[in-house]
Amino acid sequence: MPESNNTAAPATEPKMLKMTINGKEVEVKEGTSIIEAYSQHGMSIAHYCWHPGLSVAGVCRLCMVEIEGNPRLQIACNTAVTDGMKVNNESEKVKDAVKWGLDFHLINHPLDCPICDQAGECGLQDQYMAYGKYTPEMAEKKVKKHKVVDLGPRVVLDSERCILCSRCVRFTDEVSKTNELGIFNRGDRAEIGTFEGKPLDNNYSLNTVDICPVGALTSKDFRFRQRVWFLKEHNSICTGCSTGCNTRVFYNKEGLFRIKPRYNKDINGYWMTDTGRDAYKFVNKEARLLDARVVSNGRGEWIAPKLAARKAGEALKGAGKSVALVVTGQYMNEEYEALLSYFKNEVGTDRVFHWINNPETFDSFDGLLARGDKNPNTKGLLAEMAKQGFTAQWRELAEGLQTGAIKTVVVAGPENQAVFPDLKAKIMELSKASKLVWLQAGKNDQLEALTGDVTLIPLKTYVEKTGTYVNYAGIAQKVHKGLTVVPNALSLVEVVALMKGEELPADDTYNQVGLGRVHNEFTMVRGTL
Amino acid sequence: MSLVQKRTELSKWYLPAIFQGLGWTFVKMVKNLANKKQMITLNYPEQKHEYSPRFKGNHVLTVKKDGSIRCTACMLCATNCPAECITIKAAEHEDPTVEKFPISYEIDMLRCVFCGFCEEACPVDAIRMGPEWQRPAVNGANFVYDLKELAYRPSLKGGIVSVVDETDRHKAGI
Repeated sequence: MPESNNTAAPATEPKMLKMTINGKEVEVKEGTSIIEAYSQHGMSIAHYCWHPGLSVAGVCRLCMVEIEGNPRLQIACNTAVTDGMKVNNESEKVKDAVKWGLDFHLINHPLDCPICDQAGECGLQDQYMAYGKYTPEMAEKKVKKHKVVDLGPRVVLDSERCILCSRCVRFTDEVSKTNELGIFNRGDRAEIGTFEGKPLDNNYSLNTVDICPVGALTSKDFRFRQRVWFLKEHNSICTGCSTGCNTRVFYNKEGLFRIKPRYNKDINGYWMTDTGRDAYKFVNKEARLLDARVVSNGRGEWIAPKLAARKAGEALKGAGKSVALVVTGQYMNEEYEALLSYFKNEVGTDRVFHWINNPETFDSFDGLLARGDKNPNTKGLLAEMAKQGFTAQWRELAEGLQTGAIKTVVVAGPENQAVFPDLKAKIMELSKASKLVWLQAGKNDQLEALTGDVTLIPLKTYVEKTGTYVNYAGIAQKVHKGLTVVPNALSLVEVVALMKGEELPADDTYNQVGLGRVHNEFTMVRGTL
Repeated sequence: MSLVQKRTELSKWYLPAIFQGLGWTFVKMVKNLANKKQMITLNYPEQKHEYSPRFKGNHVLTVKKDGSIRCTACMLCATNCPAECITIKAAEHEDPTVEKFPISYEIDMLRCVFCGFCEEACPVDAIRMGPEWQRPAVNGANFVYDLKELAYRPSLKGGIVSVVDETDRHKAGI
């Protein structure tokens, strides 16, 4: 049907327009605004209130451009490109307009950068360095507004720092659709605020902190904990739920400090959930299992994880159907492949069970990003189980434990224990087995208190290993190793290799990346003279 | 490097050299006793040399007029420090006009190179380098000075008041 194709094509394909930006000829789609044309072609333009994920407000008046044939300067965010348009933001006229615009923004800005959390990643600082007028001519006193306003459980407002770009108001209006924020009063007394009795309490509230170009909105969780220039970035994937939002984690040698979203138009756009931002807490050393624990004959001892994995592997060799494996959807494709094929081929069991953490809310979805399936890789696990031909049901495990047919249980436990409400009950149930091997990254007092024949082996978390997660829609995303938090911890691939009796490759295991300066051992023992 | 010694017959007899040295000491002692003021040595632990106020010795954290710590925990000193000897933990203050303050401020004196970059970086005159520098300690941990030591040690007599005052700035409308 070539005719119908020909008629359909022009309607769906947008017309390309030719335009000139700062003397350079570019092509953009019809309907693009000038500021979008600038950002698409990697050219800088001053702006505050415009955000690619939100509607156009045109309140900051900073993205001024000179359009040929137009006597006055226009704002680039609210002007659509027309064919043959010639725009320029490098002329003296534009520079002067931006300079004075910035000075008006700073009339009531307190300049308390030393105590402001945004310092170092602040739009006002960056743009003032680039376009600012360094000699202010304002003689009036600054208007005092409210400081340290508690907007909700996660966000703090400082209205003096606010430049009223209205990004946060538009966010609650358009993206989260909760409408908590508004601008109150007029003129230089205008302030951001919430309505009485309606705090900013939705699962997307911390996105307002991300899009705030100044330090007016700050996160309670991150407030005053680090200066941003002490932190390094690493691109990662959120493991908080099966959506798989693209994230950046911020860390230094003390551990992870915060998580921010990274743009991915297919998955999360510019946003992420507040619950996903807590996914750094279980990675840090305070929450981690640091060494392997082996309990036998009522006596527990801490040993090196490699040795523990080897010993566990010796006991599993050829044990056959008396061994059961319990897997959560928290690990990577590569790890599932190694683990499941080991249990099928070397151990020789088909008793492999999928631990579903919250069966009641598993398929729920809040309409934006958060999903009820709180595992990053359920899809990958199910695909691997189908490939290996494992079809066992959970009730068979309970029966096997009752009758004594299952003697040894190996558990690839939760990485993020907070999203496993049934963790306590499952530990009670699984510890009925005469031998329990529990692989897990986080520490858990209940597991450490178990008596009987128990082995706990510490695992790596998602920022410490390289692998693939498959999200709810079947999109496979690769994450790379960024840092080492617990040097002794193993990934499941390494555990399986050790269980088989193989040696680990020396290159990666002890190669600590990115944790900053290596501590001088003499400074560490100081004070014990 | 090798030291070439010139051995003569006389130098094999050690006693002449010893008596020569003792004689020189004796002459100096008599001279010093006769003119104590020009004696160049000090009775060290009792007498100490006074350094100029500009000398870059041990750090001092200044205080506000009410005696609380002036530092706002902006970490510019820690950022600027080439020896990475400053460790600050910031916290939220109960008073919203103060907002941020250091809940712990430690300087590792053995790591410090006394370059003075910290006092240059400080925006509120919260850290200065004072004229003291002789502080013995029995082990390395005693050289990590904490907030109490830096701001309120006995020799500071209750703390040194900073020249930057927040209330004055507020009155001026900044």
